[in-house]
Amino acid sequence: MTKLYIHPLQVRIWHWINAICVLALVLTGLQIRYVGLFDIMSLQLAITVHNWIGFILLGNFFIWLSFYLFSDKIKIYHPELNPKKFYRESFGQAGYYGWGIYRGAKNPHHMTPYNKFNALQKSLYQIIMLLVIPVQIITGILLWDVERFSGIVGLLGGVRVVDTVHVLILIFFSGFLFIHVYLATLGHTATAHIKAMFTGYEEIEEEDPKDSKEDKHDDKVIRMSTSESPSPLQIH
Amino acid sequence: MQALAKVLVVDDDAVVGQSFDRVLSKKGYSVSTAMNGQEALSQFAGGKHDVVFTDIKMPGMNGIEVAQRIKAKSPWTPVVVVTGYGTPDNEAAAAAVGVADFLRKPLLPSAIEEVMERITKKPIIEEKVSEIAEEAREITEDASKSMGVGRTLKNIGLFFAAPFIGLAYFIAFPFIGLGMLVWYGIQALTGRSGSER
Repeated sequence: MTKLYIHPLQVRIWHWINAICVLALVLTGLQIRYVGLFDIMSLQLAITVHNWIGFILLGNFFIWLSFYLFSDKIKIYHPELNPKKFYRESFGQAGYYGWGIYRGAKNPHHMTPYNKFNALQKSLYQIIMLLVIPVQIITGILLWDVERFSGIVGLLGGVRVVDTVHVLILIFFSGFLFIHVYLATLGHTATAHIKAMFTGYEEIEEEDPKDSKEDKHDDKVIRMSTSESPSPLQIH
Repeated sequence: MQALAKVLVVDDDAVVGQSFDRVLSKKGYSVSTAMNGQEALSQFAGGKHDVVFTDIKMPGMNGIEVAQRIKAKSPWTPVVVVTGYGTPDNEAAAAAVGVADFLRKPLLPSAIEEVMERITKKPIIEEKVSEIAEEAREITEDASKSMGVGRTLKNIGLFFAAPFIGLAYFIAFPFIGLGMLVWYGIQALTGRSGSER
């Protein structure tokens, strides 16, 4: 096993704040939208909590955005411009998730600090972080004070349209949370990826040098065997 | 370079030394004076002067001999002879020693400045090389700055384009998947019929 510093501190802080906020927003959102489904708190309190946490998530989103815009890690969210490569890797990854993993196959994706997502994750997170969350934030702000933003709400087709979009994304996130947690348990141990999101270090299986030619030139990292001293690794 | 140049003025008349000091200090030169040849040589030995101005007629060692000894010790140091007795013989003797210039008293401050400027100036070729190197450095700096800005803009552009490209890939995903299945099916069928034959 080799340890690689994959998750910088800013990303980890953002991730866990985001996790708590999304969970709270999903729960309060479901209570607000589907009255009577469950009652964690009073409806009025659920609305207040939902609004406040929404603004915390908004601020947290800008922390995430600023980090990636002003660091070279922005490459993590760059699109794959070669469709052939994208589909080859995506189908390979889908095959691994759907079939290979149950037969003990190795994950076809080799994680590096500048290529931490596999092809499917990469596209999905690009869409979620730069499209779905911004849309959810905008619709959330519009619904927070419909009267104040009545002009924009009208332009978008009315409250019903804005609310439907907001709720559809809520449903998407409700499902995504389960998928996300499930995929997080697919490391070499069930808690390996979760632990990495606290420490920043992912434990990577040693690769056969002839199999690991991909992206080597992009990631100037110092690798260290876990059997050596546990001092932090450096990225240069 | 000019600000750090050290000048040694050798003249038995202290007023001459003071005049050089007044004129050249204003220009940023560091001026030291000697009243005779012996003092000049000992100052020069310990002072690492860049330019020497010397009078000819002095008690003891004359200016030509001072120039000769300095040039023997440090051939690259420019020595300027300054004299009120500018005879052709003196001028020829000074030229034989290899002085940088031969000036006649009385001297105007502008003449001293002009000589200093000329002899401390780098050779034209060296100056040109420096100018070209400076220009090249500026061009390189500008280019790397604009490349850096270009790279940053490209990174940000790709970052914001990513979800739309990803979305297009996902929309096409099932069609590409079906297409691939059909393709593999055809490949398998043609392969099997080929092997049957």
